[in-house]
Amino acid sequence: MRNLAAELLVLRKRTSSWVLLGVWVLLSLLFSHVLPYITYSGGGGGEFQTPLSALLPAGLAANLLGGFPFFGGVFALMLGVLTVGSDYGWDTLKTLLTQRSGRFQVLGAKLAALGVGLVPFVLVIFIGGAVASLLIASAENAAVEWPSAWELIRALGAAWLILASWAAFGVMLAVLSRGTALAIGLGILYTLVIEGLLSALATQVSWLEALVQYSIRANAYSLVSTLGVGSEALSGNGPGAFSGPFVDGGQAILVLGAYVVGFLGLSAVVFRSRDIA
Amino acid sequence: MSDPALETHAITKRYGDVLAVDNLDMRVDRGQVYGFLGPNGAGKTTTLRMLLGLAKATSGRATVLGAAPGSSEGLARIGALVEAPGFYPFLSGRDNLRVLAKQSRAPAKRIAVVLDEVGLTDRAKDRFGSYSQGMKQRLGVAAALLKDPDLLILDEPTNGLDPQGLVEMRSFIRELGRGHRTVLLSSHLMTEVEQICDRVGVISKGRLVREGTVDELRGERGLWVRAEPHDEAVRIISAMSGVERVATVGGTLRVTTDMAAAPAINAALVSAGIAVSELRPEQASLEEVFLNLTRKDEEASR
Repeated sequence: MRNLAAELLVLRKRTSSWVLLGVWVLLSLLFSHVLPYITYSGGGGGEFQTPLSALLPAGLAANLLGGFPFFGGVFALMLGVLTVGSDYGWDTLKTLLTQRSGRFQVLGAKLAALGVGLVPFVLVIFIGGAVASLLIASAENAAVEWPSAWELIRALGAAWLILASWAAFGVMLAVLSRGTALAIGLGILYTLVIEGLLSALATQVSWLEALVQYSIRANAYSLVSTLGVGSEALSGNGPGAFSGPFVDGGQAILVLGAYVVGFLGLSAVVFRSRDIA
Repeated sequence: MSDPALETHAITKRYGDVLAVDNLDMRVDRGQVYGFLGPNGAGKTTTLRMLLGLAKATSGRATVLGAAPGSSEGLARIGALVEAPGFYPFLSGRDNLRVLAKQSRAPAKRIAVVLDEVGLTDRAKDRFGSYSQGMKQRLGVAAALLKDPDLLILDEPTNGLDPQGLVEMRSFIRELGRGHRTVLLSSHLMTEVEQICDRVGVISKGRLVREGTVDELRGERGLWVRAEPHDEAVRIISAMSGVERVATVGGTLRVTTDMAAAPAINAALVSAGIAVSELRPEQASLEEVFLNLTRKDEEASR
């Protein structure tokens, strides 16, 4: 617990943690509520117009979850990279590893702190979204009905799992590259380009579709779609657009969980076996 | 023989084709201040990293405070500063020590004590990133002392210090050496090592080329004799058996001979009515010994 407290202190006092959280919250609310409400209130209609029901408190979970598989994933990936990779650059790893704790303990504390650190990346979005939806309901004189507690808990859990799988990917890249720059570059390349291209080509190449069904993106989008995010909302999601293949919710949870375990397991093995330069 | 604080047996570290440490046998007894000397790239830091468990030995074995390198049991009683101090730049000096105190389970009250010991109390609230090189180095020493360790491993602790900082750090390390703890000090500064260390090991190309007390290493290779009349003294000493060479250096005679000849030389000069105002052994400085050893090793490996 003392190791975790130490890592939480580092994470909490680190400016980049707050910058990532702030930008993620602003972007998420901008794309989930602010811009859709502006287009709605402009009354222009068209394919990008969001129905008012999606912007009200009742549609909170479904409206917010659409941003987690891609945009949220990029932020979580960067947080994962920075949490572990910066210690290589600052040479703090050698300082930490000459204290008392073994390598697994040191890495374990970092990962636990990262897991805790992802909680505000979910909660603050939902709190901000709730406030925004309440303001919209008030402006439109619409009825205020909240999603059920169970629906909210499932949405929060799914959001955290999606972020955790991307953050674990970031941790693995940071450990393998022993730093931040290459890890962030490769991570964003994979997130933006590779998974996007694979899922775009999957509709044309059958064997690729089977492969894509096990990608982070496909499983993350599938998970949020089972929680009420419409496929039309995902296919019009800019650079993070996704139009399938979708898998069922159970598989999505298992695959994302396996990614978390796999990425972190590989990170732990490499972290333990390598010399600290 | 006293209990070793650390011991290595044929410890070797290889990075691909590069042999960084080659069958190194080393022993530091408890309570000893051991100077670890060697030119850049000789394998000092690699050895220290292996002793701390940061790097794994390719072969050989080592024990540190009776435990395997890098084990929690050993690390709990070791304080270390290896190369440049590594701290979080966005945290204050105090917060960096708070993080380490939690990681090492050192009592929080030690933070104020060690900050005071290294003279950083006034700047403890400032970000580490804003520290001068000397302050960073001092915080590194403070971190090493946080656990009140039995063994202190300091790798070039005076790096980057200005003359004032150098004097302070030297006297600080000397104080550390006077206590109960064992200190393994790697340094380029011969004066520092000469003044502080009980025992010295010289490493070159990954091998321990010489080990002993400072006096043993400096050795005795002749005598300095100041006597009048000068020419007569030269004539008498040159004629004595066992004297290899007599040279005049700045009015003083440099006599190449066994130290055991000193009483006989003195007696011969005095009985000949020559006034002897000085007769002392000639010792090489540690710096000369170091340069000589590493040069010889360099030549042998060509």
